[in-house]
Amino acid sequence: MMQDTPLLEIRNCTMEFPGVRALDNVSFKLMSGECHALVGENGAGKSTLAKCIIGENIMTKGELYICGEKINLSNYSVRTSQQKGIAIVHQEFQLMNDMTGIENIFVGHYTTNGPFIDWKKLKKKAEEIMDFLQSDVNLNIPVKYLRTAEKQIIQLARAIMMDAKVIILDELTAVLQDKEIKNIFRIVDILKKRGTGIIYISHRLDEIFEMCESYTVLCDGRYINSGYVKDVDKPKLISMIVGRELTQVYPRIENTQDEVLLEVKGLTAEKGFRNINLKLHKGEVVGIAGLVGAGKTELVNAIFGNYKVKSGEIYIKGKPVQIRKPQDAIKHKIGLVPDERKQLGLITLFNIKENTVLPSIKRFAKFGFSNHKKEMQSAYEYNERMQLAYASLWQQVSKLSGGNQQKIVIAKWVLADTEIYLFDEPTRGIDIGAKVEIYKLIDELTKQGKGVILVSPELEEVIGLSNRVYIMFEGEIKDEVYGERKTQSVIVNSLLGLGG
Amino acid sequence: MDVNSVDFKNKSQRYRGGFKAFVREWMILFLFIALFILCSVTIDNFFTTENIMNILRQISFLAIVSLGEFFVILIGQMDMSIGSIIGMVSCFFAGFVAKSGMPVGTALIIVLLFAVAVGTINGLLTVVGKMPSFIATLVTMNVIKGVNFIYSKGVPISGLPKGFNYLGMGYLWIIPIPVIMMIIVAVVLNVFTKQTPLGRSFFAVGGNPEASKLSGVNVKFVSILAFVLSAVLSAIGAIGMTSKTMSGIATIGDNMLFDVMTVVVLGGTALTGGRGKVAGVTLAAMFLGVISNAMVLLGIDTYWQWIVKGIILVSVVLIDANTKKE
Repeated sequence: MMQDTPLLEIRNCTMEFPGVRALDNVSFKLMSGECHALVGENGAGKSTLAKCIIGENIMTKGELYICGEKINLSNYSVRTSQQKGIAIVHQEFQLMNDMTGIENIFVGHYTTNGPFIDWKKLKKKAEEIMDFLQSDVNLNIPVKYLRTAEKQIIQLARAIMMDAKVIILDELTAVLQDKEIKNIFRIVDILKKRGTGIIYISHRLDEIFEMCESYTVLCDGRYINSGYVKDVDKPKLISMIVGRELTQVYPRIENTQDEVLLEVKGLTAEKGFRNINLKLHKGEVVGIAGLVGAGKTELVNAIFGNYKVKSGEIYIKGKPVQIRKPQDAIKHKIGLVPDERKQLGLITLFNIKENTVLPSIKRFAKFGFSNHKKEMQSAYEYNERMQLAYASLWQQVSKLSGGNQQKIVIAKWVLADTEIYLFDEPTRGIDIGAKVEIYKLIDELTKQGKGVILVSPELEEVIGLSNRVYIMFEGEIKDEVYGERKTQSVIVNSLLGLGG
Repeated sequence: MDVNSVDFKNKSQRYRGGFKAFVREWMILFLFIALFILCSVTIDNFFTTENIMNILRQISFLAIVSLGEFFVILIGQMDMSIGSIIGMVSCFFAGFVAKSGMPVGTALIIVLLFAVAVGTINGLLTVVGKMPSFIATLVTMNVIKGVNFIYSKGVPISGLPKGFNYLGMGYLWIIPIPVIMMIIVAVVLNVFTKQTPLGRSFFAVGGNPEASKLSGVNVKFVSILAFVLSAVLSAIGAIGMTSKTMSGIATIGDNMLFDVMTVVVLGGTALTGGRGKVAGVTLAAMFLGVISNAMVLLGIDTYWQWIVKGIILVSVVLIDANTKKE
């Protein structure tokens, strides 16, 4: 009978942020000893759901049950979720880098002997946990010296120390090597046998078929389907994840001209990428696909002068140029729309107008004095062109939605007269409506003969928008696909380093 | 997209938040007016031309030095060395003129260059050396203090030409010369921070250095310049203070840092950088001046000023840290 009560259940969860509905009426059930895959595109709401479960976000509407007990959401928090036995392991680490493995496992939960920490006991406990995980990680050195996979095991050990009944694994394997992934699989098996419920968030569908019993698909914050993995095949799962006809969303961009706008020859950095050769024509969208750690972000930053390059040449319209810092790139009419909008793209303290004119303020100045009136007029003109939803140019940008913020970042480069646009994950965390608007803007830019380099972790997006796709694997361009070869399966194979 | 449209007029209109937003932005102005009226009504001899000019003269050098520190705080850093820079300028200037017989003009240029050098070192340690500015400037503060004492042997250097006193004590009509200096500095810096691309980039760097860099702002240059401005404005203040005392004193700026920080923060400058106003800082200096003056007129022991200023600084920072930002 115990079997029938889910470890964790969510009924009709809705999560709203100002201006965005991140989750819309999502339900979810996790049984004891089950590994449940939570799948969907970036921005589908997987992480938001995970945050709702651990109490980092409190759902706007809906009910949460843990082991059949209804949770009072008004005083639910990360603390209470931990007490109820819910733990999360992120790919980004919540570890104290300078503390040892043992300290990290037990911090906040030390066993004491009088006023003193009983290190002997803790050490013994830690060894027991490691034995249980059948793992062998050095727990006596600061965790900063450990490999990524080892840090994840420390986090898992902490979850077990706290006697977690539900463990959420959030994209753990995205940055791991094959051997290390196998090790995680092994640990998940051990945990399942113990009766722990696992929520497994991953982009890699193969993994889901290998280790999960059931799945739940989210798309744009909506609940799509749940079921057993054995009842579904890969193409069916993909169609559920994508949830729409690709052609409807992506405009058909065909504005490529003959003139080469940008050419990169043999670009090599100390770390990140090697021997990169690529070309960008006028009016063309060139996609760069690759897994996390393939060197995509490093590459676009290097073209923008924001990442140190060891050797290689950059040509703009056939002329060699030196780009050592972003100022040089801007002078050569290159603009970067960075992946971290709030940290890198905007000064959130500033208003819309100041953000829009920032790269162009020198151009507006006369005899060294700024022309605020002209700046205001241009900020208005270009943001209107982006169809920005705003009340006043004096509005602070931190209050706008992700899609609107991104439009300002694009507007500022259009205003700066940019010819080469580097888009690094331009639709990260943006809802579908705003995404489509961003796609239309990209189409608009190419019609005017601008060149676009697009980096995105969403393969469909890269395929849907780009005329040509370069595929990066571990810092090198492994393949270039266009025309008939520009398909999901060809790219996926190259992405994984399997060769086309 | 027509810039003559009603839509543009609406969207480019300032203070859409109405009067409330305006008050919040100019809090120090309203505080100052309130305090001023309060003192005028309750304290005899407060509202006289003589007393008001006296207040202004007393705070004018504090205002100038604070406007220097303002730039460093604006980029999210901290300059602890201003007191020592003031001492350095004071005793070296007096020494060059009185001991070495240098013309006043030449000595002035040399000590200003000293200040530029110290500011550049502070900037380089922080920006290129990636040291926390608190430590970097703490070090320069102490090192310069040592240099000052070695040079001056710890005694005031007197013997400056009589005419030099005009700068600190003179009047133009009824307005003291230091007040004129303060007004010139404040107006120039106000225009600089609002109307020039370079001046505006201090706010950008303080608001988000990474995003500024990616938008083509020369973050390193701007950051170093903030420290140089801080040192140079300290030096200008120091020259004025030396003219008042007519002697070069190594310790003349030693107790200033606290007042300067109070003024900068009270003036609405965010300690995290990116937000602040030249006018706000200038007003804050006047606010502090009125409080000191009122206490003197009321016959309160001057040591109480230390306590009152402490309370002011704590209140301002507490309020700033605990109110939600727009």
